[in-house]
Amino acid sequence: MKHIRDRRLAVLVSTLTLGLSVLAGSAVAHGPDPFLAGGAFGQNQALNFSWRSGAVPVAAIQTAIKAAAADVTATRGSKAATFTYATTGGNPIGYGLGATCGVNGIACFTRTAPTSFTMWLREQGHVFDWGSLKWCQSYSVPPSGCFDVETIALDEFGHVEGLGHHVNEPDESDYLDAVVQTFSHAKPQVGWNVHAFGVCDVATLQRVYDVLSWSAKYSTCNLLATTLTVAAPATVVYGGSATAVATLKVTDASAYGRLGANPLSGRVVTLQTRAPGTTTWLVAGTMTAGATAGTYARTLTLTADVQVRAVFKAPTDEGLGGSISSTATIDVGPCKVAPCPMSAPAGSQ
Amino acid sequence: MVRSAWLRRAGPGIVALGAAGMLTSTTLGARDRPWVPPDCAGDARAGGTSAQAARATSQGNVGDAPWFRLDPILDANGSLAGQRLVIGRVDGAGKRTMELPSESFAAGPFGATVLVGTDDGARSRLFVLDVVAGCAAPIDTSADVIRRATISPDGGSIVESRVERESRADQGIWRRRLDRDEPAEPLIPPIGADGRFGRTWSTEFLWTVDGRELAVQSCGENACRTRVLEPTTGALHEVDEPDLGPAVGLADGRLVSYLACRGLPCPIVAIDLSTGVRRTLAPDAGPAVVIATDDGARLVHERVVGSRTSLFTVPLDGSEGRDLGAVPAGLSLHMDANRSADGLDAAAGWVLLAPEGRMPIHGAVAPLLRHVPDGRTVAVDEVTR
Repeated sequence: MKHIRDRRLAVLVSTLTLGLSVLAGSAVAHGPDPFLAGGAFGQNQALNFSWRSGAVPVAAIQTAIKAAAADVTATRGSKAATFTYATTGGNPIGYGLGATCGVNGIACFTRTAPTSFTMWLREQGHVFDWGSLKWCQSYSVPPSGCFDVETIALDEFGHVEGLGHHVNEPDESDYLDAVVQTFSHAKPQVGWNVHAFGVCDVATLQRVYDVLSWSAKYSTCNLLATTLTVAAPATVVYGGSATAVATLKVTDASAYGRLGANPLSGRVVTLQTRAPGTTTWLVAGTMTAGATAGTYARTLTLTADVQVRAVFKAPTDEGLGGSISSTATIDVGPCKVAPCPMSAPAGSQ
Repeated sequence: MVRSAWLRRAGPGIVALGAAGMLTSTTLGARDRPWVPPDCAGDARAGGTSAQAARATSQGNVGDAPWFRLDPILDANGSLAGQRLVIGRVDGAGKRTMELPSESFAAGPFGATVLVGTDDGARSRLFVLDVVAGCAAPIDTSADVIRRATISPDGGSIVESRVERESRADQGIWRRRLDRDEPAEPLIPPIGADGRFGRTWSTEFLWTVDGRELAVQSCGENACRTRVLEPTTGALHEVDEPDLGPAVGLADGRLVSYLACRGLPCPIVAIDLSTGVRRTLAPDAGPAVVIATDDGARLVHERVVGSRTSLFTVPLDGSEGRDLGAVPAGLSLHMDANRSADGLDAAAGWVLLAPEGRMPIHGAVAPLLRHVPDGRTVAVDEVTR
């Protein structure tokens, strides 16, 4: 079963990759970052980098690039590839020159997923039409107009993962929602020294690479529908107990990439009940973690027929929509009024 | 052609060129002692030598074709301290190294020459290096900063991009005719501000493969605007779509451009300049060039399929794409001089494969040339024109 799921996910990722690539020029403002052409790296793939021979960054730049690599691991919120410096690393990062950077920009990359990448940062003092590039790390007191190497390198690592530039709101009020930006901000502009992926970077990383665990939070830049089902025994003896089991998943939609059909553990799911024929639901209580991922259980002691449903209220701290299960009915019987000869023995619950 | 014009202008400026050369370097090897070019005007043989070289490179073996490469010189703090210009011929002859100020550029080759611009913080100077004769001739100076320049294919004029020295404000595109003793004149006005592109990071020139039209590309940090000038009529056609990145080429009424990716692979599209219709030529291209062949202009680009990097070519109408075979390990497709900061005038129909996609100064991996019509690969000095 797992193999089937893996194959299906591979197809979904391909679909997502194509879809997001197509969106590269028309992505919705404030949505997840678009995804670049060229496919993705493997989940949690460890990518080692080293300094390019003949173009080794100076110490301060090296330190900032390594810090950016650590920022990726700390803030990816997903199983995106990780980056680690190793003297024998097969992915060179250079400083000072590089044909791949073309004529503009302060840093650039190439990516050959799932095998390799390269990265370049322009040299301190590189002259553009507007003036000379200043890296903040080149100064003891960074001047206005300098660019933070760690932020820019994090942006480039994001590109290597496959992230395209975030599409901001027209007023750029959401600039901090992504570090992978079309326009790099220099000190002291908003976001000039952000050292963590933004929620809209993470949203796409999650869709492409999946979340780290079933209880991990989904980026608030995502808005994923959820599917909640509930199962309960159809009948129970008078005074007996019935356990309702709810299953909470991300809705299985191709647009969600790897996230579709993910079980959702560690969330707050409540069980509601009502008497058949009535319309008012009452909260029976919070369901506890079930036996398998994404399941939640609550046991009821019943002396009357009851309808149950599970409710997942949209959380404010992650990008999941709320959902309500369909209704399950539990009949108490055949005896419905005490004393019942077949009732559950006292203290059996 | 251009040589006869600039040789008439050769004169005192050469001393200033030499003065610009004395910079310390952490990347320049001791074996590469900086070269201060002599004044071409002072060498009676220079004109003749250049003419011979021009004939050789246009009709004979490409082995004596000139090339150049520009690299930053960094100080111990990793800061730009200057630029190293290496010129030479494919057959290894005439290799010379100059040290230039930080704000410098090189363009070409144009026949046997390389056009060089330097700025010492007070004035910008343009000069032409004759790679074969081994001399230099001044072309122009300006109180504004000359950021880039190119020589028209007919050799009749120099076209310059300038910014104001203090404010770095765009001063537009200027033209200086080489057959008249007149100052440079405005050719294209400064490009207007547009928030979709941000401030201008670079301005580059691009000639159509037939040399009839000039494109001026103004790039923001990510996206680029292109103005195409038809020199005889002065008509200006602007392409200002903010999802377009650096241009790859201009031919057959089409602008071929990367999208605004800031990295590779990246889609390449062709925009019909008369209709605006856009066609995707390569959905995930690596390094790319547009070249002339007997069958018309074609896009040639790297493409990764599985673990194999190959060259792929497609005509600009998007039809008949075909594989040109694997790219040898350690080599990459050489792009235009704007992107690679080096230049080699390969014969029509050929593309250069070089280490890091650039002409090597030293190194064990030799560059190769691949013939686009049939995929044949030969050593870089084997191709006849």
